[in-house]
Amino acid sequence: MFKQLGYSFNADDCIGCKACEIACKNENQTPAHVRWRKVTKTSGDFFLSVSCNHCDNPECFRVCPERAFTKRQDGIVEIDENRCTGCQLCVTACPYSAPQFDPETQKMSKCQMCYPRQDAGLPPACVEACTTGALNHVDLNKFSDLEATRTLPGFPNIKITSPSIVFYPVKPRKRYFIK
Amino acid sequence: MKDGIYRNTCPRNCYGTCGILSHVKNGKLIKVTGDPEHGYSKGSLCAKGYAFTQYVYSPDRIKYPMLQSPRGSGKWKRISWDEAYTIIASKMIDLNQRYGSNLASGYNKFSGNLGLLHYATEGMFNSIGPHTKPIGNPCALTGKLAMNRSFGESFSSVPEDMAGSKLIVLWGANPAVTNVHQMKFIKEARSKGAKLVVIDPIFTQTAKKADLYIQIHPGTDRLLALGIAKLVIEKQQHSLEFLEEQTSGWMEYKEYLENQLTMDEVCKQTGVEIEALKELSELYGTIKPVATWAGLGVQRNSHGSESISAINSLAAVTGNLFLPNGGLYFMHFDVDDFPCALLNHKGPEHPMIPGPREVDISDYASSALQLSEPPLSLLWIASRNITQDHNLKAWVELFQKLELIVTVDLYMTKTAEKSDIVLPAATHFEEEDLNVGYWHYWLSINQKAIPPYYEAKSDLQIARELTRKLNELSPGFSNFPADKEPIDWIKEELTPEIMALYSLTTYEDILKRPYQKGIQKVLSHDKKNFRLFSPDGKKSEVSLYQGDSSGVDEYKLITPQSLLKIHSQYESLNWLNRTQDESCIELSTEAAQLNDINDQEKIEVYNDQGQIVGVAKINPHLPKNIILTHQAGNNPINQLIIQQNEEDVSTYFYDSIVYIKKWRESHV
Repeated sequence: MFKQLGYSFNADDCIGCKACEIACKNENQTPAHVRWRKVTKTSGDFFLSVSCNHCDNPECFRVCPERAFTKRQDGIVEIDENRCTGCQLCVTACPYSAPQFDPETQKMSKCQMCYPRQDAGLPPACVEACTTGALNHVDLNKFSDLEATRTLPGFPNIKITSPSIVFYPVKPRKRYFIK
Repeated sequence: MKDGIYRNTCPRNCYGTCGILSHVKNGKLIKVTGDPEHGYSKGSLCAKGYAFTQYVYSPDRIKYPMLQSPRGSGKWKRISWDEAYTIIASKMIDLNQRYGSNLASGYNKFSGNLGLLHYATEGMFNSIGPHTKPIGNPCALTGKLAMNRSFGESFSSVPEDMAGSKLIVLWGANPAVTNVHQMKFIKEARSKGAKLVVIDPIFTQTAKKADLYIQIHPGTDRLLALGIAKLVIEKQQHSLEFLEEQTSGWMEYKEYLENQLTMDEVCKQTGVEIEALKELSELYGTIKPVATWAGLGVQRNSHGSESISAINSLAAVTGNLFLPNGGLYFMHFDVDDFPCALLNHKGPEHPMIPGPREVDISDYASSALQLSEPPLSLLWIASRNITQDHNLKAWVELFQKLELIVTVDLYMTKTAEKSDIVLPAATHFEEEDLNVGYWHYWLSINQKAIPPYYEAKSDLQIARELTRKLNELSPGFSNFPADKEPIDWIKEELTPEIMALYSLTTYEDILKRPYQKGIQKVLSHDKKNFRLFSPDGKKSEVSLYQGDSSGVDEYKLITPQSLLKIHSQYESLNWLNRTQDESCIELSTEAAQLNDINDQEKIEVYNDQGQIVGVAKINPHLPKNIILTHQAGNNPINQLIIQQNEEDVSTYFYDSIVYIKKWRESHV
């Protein structure tokens, strides 16, 4: 692999504004129920913004009987919708609910990391939309930062697929509540 | 329209006034991106902005003019624009003949679209001579007047400069939800070591990001600001030279802090413990520059004016008003620099009536009900959903008395549902406009990027066409310059003075990128008119926090903005608001225990104005005397909001008292 493109997500900088989630819909014109990227609040009271993590060991790729998934040389996991029969095996296999089933087309689709944009030198739409810079795209083959972590509380188990995402945790804060 | 990329500006009542690049193919808006040339939004939009393709092509949009008969029946009939204009113009002419003037015709318009060309509604009414018009500002007038008292003019620092602050203190402002782009400047400051402090009764999303969060009883910001100033002065950390030379009221203010304000009282009223006060006063006293933001939330109650004034004075005491990257943030009204030719269009004179009949927009319905000779009989509603007002009972009564209600909107709002005629409004992608912000200082163009959705029209186009119909039926009825095109109105705004102010050389410049006003918003050293807080004897005696004395079973209703709506706008878009679920009513753990309410249980929140049934959500961080709900929805919470009429104030949306109880079938 020449590259392993992935995301870095700073939970401390994320304000949960969902611009990334809707920018993805704007770029890809997906219907409301097809959510390639989702912003969710964890029980730890911070947000996660998660899409397909273009894993090192993509379970979707492994389980798909139609071989609809491929991993590009830059690490992006693609889906060929023409091959998809809508069996939804990938839905159960993916720890991150990345493949999204569209009942209208009876096909799966998912985040392709805006590779047409990236091929044109643009960042993925979600990254461009992130006003605080909490969400970024990085080449994990070159990435190194001691402050970054492989996971955060509330993120699914990373051991199965080795997702291409790194995190920065929230920092402690001082709070005075009315007693 | 040609394929390509057009420049648009988000016209919402929002701090962002963001630059949009609209991608158009085959006459359709296929996507939007942020305009990287816009110095405030810098190439990104918010979630609502990114949902614009859905907003434009939503099947819920009103496609044609429609007539409802009888009113409120839901029996709508598609009519032509010509029929609509004929009905409206005939009624206006009829009322004019009946009463000898146009005072029986009026409008209510606010902030649905803040583009300068949307003043067409005002211009259209000016053009028929004396009529009934709204004045004031239900959102920000209290704060605006308080700023004017402090500074002698409106004042708000440049938002991009916050990135260079060392301490940022937000009072009743929640930019993580209401002004997302400001968060990048705050983040930039923090990455260079600045501290963020948030003061708010609600543990907001911004509060969660703060280095220091201080929870406060609503309506008591005045006391907290004064208490901090007292501590700063006690420690000799105040900016004495500035106070002596450039302010008025220093001795009186100092005397008040030293002799009349006790820290015990501050702690008791605000609910803030002394350690927090000391910590914040130490930050205010030792760090420079400090950016202070007096948020709109602070002024949505009857102590708002004094609170804004006290916060301004704290920024003055610590010497931050004249420091670059310090300053004071509220919002500005620099739109007033422009000719606002449509707003100020002069109509024909009436031989007997000197001018229009003015109605305070913060008390519109009940004031309009008082009008006689003639009564208000025709009401035109544009850029406005009146379910976002207070005193909705008065609106019901007013609607019953009106002979004709016309609503111009994009969607079938609760107001449109109660109208006789709805006229389909264009989105900003379907019309030309010019936009100035009220937070940042950028001016940007709004190009017509796509043809109108079905038969939608801009407010300006409607004004032009209704004018022609009026003059056809009654020659000379209106003097609105119906032949002027949008471009003519835009160019009329760009006077040589405005061009110089925004560094524009030619009109074409604004088509290429947004331009910033050439200003430096810090108080200059030669200005000597900052007016310090002066206690209002009448009000300062009133006990502010009454939760304990009058029993905890009385709650203050707080209804802040939602992330994915602006008031009731965007609520039907399923990209943003996927489920139209029941009202969620947030209450404290103590209130839940007291009323034996469990999480997710149905409860009723009520007062003498009405009741709302919703699902309880126990919020462990909510002060015990607050009920928090969101605006709009199927059963708008504003039904419970009421304010006694007071002159020269905006609406005290966060000042109503409510009660709660478990919901039982029999209550319905």
